[in-house]
Amino acid sequence: MAEKLIEMKNITKEFPGVVANDNVSIDIKEGEIHAIVGENGAGKSTLMKILYGLYKPDSGQIYFKGNPVEIKSPLDAIRLGIGMVHQHFMLVPSFTVAENIVLGVEPRRRRIFTDYNRAVKMTEELSEEYGLKVDPHARVESLSVGIQQRIEILKVLHKGADIIILDEPTAVLTPQETEELFRVIRRLVDKLGKTVIIITHKLQEVLALSDRVTVMRQGKMVGTLKTQDANEQILAEMMVGREVLFEELEKKDVAREEVLRVNNIKARDNRGLLALRGVSFSLHSGEILGIAGVEGNGQSELVEVLTGLRQVEEGTFTINGIEATNMDPLQIRELGVSHIPEDRLSRGLSVDATITENMIIGNHRKEPYAVRGIHLNRKKIRERTKRLIKEYDVRTPSQDIVAGNLSGGNMQKMIVAREFSFDSKILIVAQPTRGIDIGAIEFVHKEIIEKRNEGAAILLVSADLDEIFRLSDRIITLYEGQITGEFLNKEISKKEIGLYMTGKAKGLN
Amino acid sequence: MKKEKVEYLISLFLSIFAALIIGGFIMLANGRNPIVGFNALINGAIGSKYKIATTLAKTVPLILTGLATSISFRSGIFNIGGEGQLYLGAFGAALVGITLINLPGLIGIPLALLVSAIAGGLYALLPAILRVKYNIDEVIVTIMLNTVAVLLTGYLVNYPFAADVGKLGATEIIGEGYHLSRLVRLSTLNTSIFHVIVITIIMYYLLERTSIGYEIKMVGQNMNFSRYGGINVKRRMIFAMVVSGILCGIAGAFEVLGVHYRFLQHISPGYAWDGMLIALIVKNNPLGVVLMALFFGALKTGSISMENATGIPSELISVIQSIIILFIAGEAGFKDKIKGYFARKRLSKKAGEKNA
Repeated sequence: MAEKLIEMKNITKEFPGVVANDNVSIDIKEGEIHAIVGENGAGKSTLMKILYGLYKPDSGQIYFKGNPVEIKSPLDAIRLGIGMVHQHFMLVPSFTVAENIVLGVEPRRRRIFTDYNRAVKMTEELSEEYGLKVDPHARVESLSVGIQQRIEILKVLHKGADIIILDEPTAVLTPQETEELFRVIRRLVDKLGKTVIIITHKLQEVLALSDRVTVMRQGKMVGTLKTQDANEQILAEMMVGREVLFEELEKKDVAREEVLRVNNIKARDNRGLLALRGVSFSLHSGEILGIAGVEGNGQSELVEVLTGLRQVEEGTFTINGIEATNMDPLQIRELGVSHIPEDRLSRGLSVDATITENMIIGNHRKEPYAVRGIHLNRKKIRERTKRLIKEYDVRTPSQDIVAGNLSGGNMQKMIVAREFSFDSKILIVAQPTRGIDIGAIEFVHKEIIEKRNEGAAILLVSADLDEIFRLSDRIITLYEGQITGEFLNKEISKKEIGLYMTGKAKGLN
Repeated sequence: MKKEKVEYLISLFLSIFAALIIGGFIMLANGRNPIVGFNALINGAIGSKYKIATTLAKTVPLILTGLATSISFRSGIFNIGGEGQLYLGAFGAALVGITLINLPGLIGIPLALLVSAIAGGLYALLPAILRVKYNIDEVIVTIMLNTVAVLLTGYLVNYPFAADVGKLGATEIIGEGYHLSRLVRLSTLNTSIFHVIVITIIMYYLLERTSIGYEIKMVGQNMNFSRYGGINVKRRMIFAMVVSGILCGIAGAFEVLGVHYRFLQHISPGYAWDGMLIALIVKNNPLGVVLMALFFGALKTGSISMENATGIPSELISVIQSIIILFIAGEAGFKDKIKGYFARKRLSKKAGEKNA
């Protein structure tokens, strides 16, 4: 095991404006599971894309089994036995599993036609050999994300990879699927002698799975250590570069009163398919209601319906007793609803507008920022922005730079600052910490809890179960547009909720 | 000033400079002396009181069509139909001027402007509604409506409203009261320039200092964000389009009331298209429109003198204008390339120091 299989030495890669990898060195041993952790933008993916030949480093050298090699393209990487499973799957949805697996290296019949039968046979053999069960005839579009990932792994194995790079493989998986994936990885390594590099930012997974772990921060390598010598605290501190306190967030008892009532809502998604099939629940002041579910089960549509961005087909909802079904977004805002959208770049802000411009939306027609609703009082607007930037710790050199220049975490803080400053009684918060750094996550979580303690009603939609469990008072599971379960936070475990999220269990506790 | 703005101004001046140099090479290639050519160009544009007045007169319609383009492009709905709106506006003003021929200027001129504004505005409203209601591409609709307006007014002035003398392709002269006063002898510069100054100030205020201007800008930048933030996106798009049409209509009216005193079949040599180029170059900034319109106006005026004096064809300035656009369009790409080059240089220097 101690054999150094790959060494990357002094790798530097600069993109305009940022140094993604700054003199990074790492070594991978044969037969190990090596985790690479770091916050978003730490340079993990860049480093692995260099190893896989997708990027060319500005300087530095890669050694394979002690010999210097140049990996100019993924073809070179594959020749060395390096394969990569990307965060976003690269499968053809309308093809079958077998077709996807042999894509690019299809078995031929008379050198022209794809030999589909042989492709199926190859898939079956492959599936048998590695113990990864798949149905070769199934169309990829009909399969769950977990299975799609399995196909990606098979594809890589089919190309003869001995070293498999997995980029954030668990980001889209349920707890059950994650466990299954880990079993597969273990098998590949222990039984079949493969080497696995896994990129992630979930520390629990690192500790559960890996042999060694390398931490990166802001393009630099912080260090590599044996997983047995590490714990969550140590890794978090290495990632962030300072002490991280996982403090318990204190929840106060607050008077509860129903503020949002949803009755049997049905709505269609952008493709015209029924995404919500009769959803009913109520939300109270002073509580956080978490909506758990695998992405694409109607959460986005639910949020859009409740904020006036999507038409309801059937059913109604009321805000503070006022019928609000199919109101426009402005009317719903006027009823005291704030919204942190899941897609911050396309909906939460305008990347081309300055921070000041981004922060004033929603207030741009109100006194004192707009005299008589029309003449902008730029001084007042700037003062407010300045105050909010300070209050919400948005790190920026100036309020006049365009929002597109901010980091993900600071963009999100800016959005949180804007939405939370309206003093709304209802906050609809979708994926509030997706892709942002630990410091910003802590901050956003604290703000949400504080709002709750002040008596706001919060609807939290998140694909991150840890987040749901950390913040929610009550949890609802959504599966295929229907509510499959409702629980008090303390009543249920993560594993159990996974069953409700995948429709394998149903009923109310 | 913001860093982006400084960078933009630098690349703008470099673009203009480069375009002029290339223009010089074209003169050379045709066996002319570029120094003589440019001298004639500058002299022709600002060499005398009369020439300056002519330059200003040429600037008037360009400012209006430039502002019209700015407001529509800012809101993300693209009015390519300025030329058609201009023709209808011009015809509307002429129609008032030849039917209510005896009206005094104090009533007649505002009335003519009002009619032209309505004509231009309504002609822009149609594609705007088609866009927000039925999602029909406004670019294609407005382009086609140009042809409709030009041919329609062409028919009208050749048949129902043709002047009595000969086949002019023009209406009768409008009533005396409608004529805007000329300001400089022999030149067509007239009081419309004062109207344009006022309109520019209003447009600047609207776009830069009001919540409506803010909403227009946000809608153009990110429609999803605007809707989410409570802006009525459709209403803002229609508003921007109609204001754009009104400005083009008024630009047409000024050609009738101040320059020709009648509607002509070919009243615009493409003012709306030039306005579009101007707005593109200055990124829809209203003050930038004024400066760039002056520059374009000077090029146009100067080029005629240049042709007369040196024989260099006046079309050369169209080439120069186009090259400026090309450079500006490539601005982002060039900037990244240049920045990337310096970044790599810095990096290899750093690496060199480390190794040493």
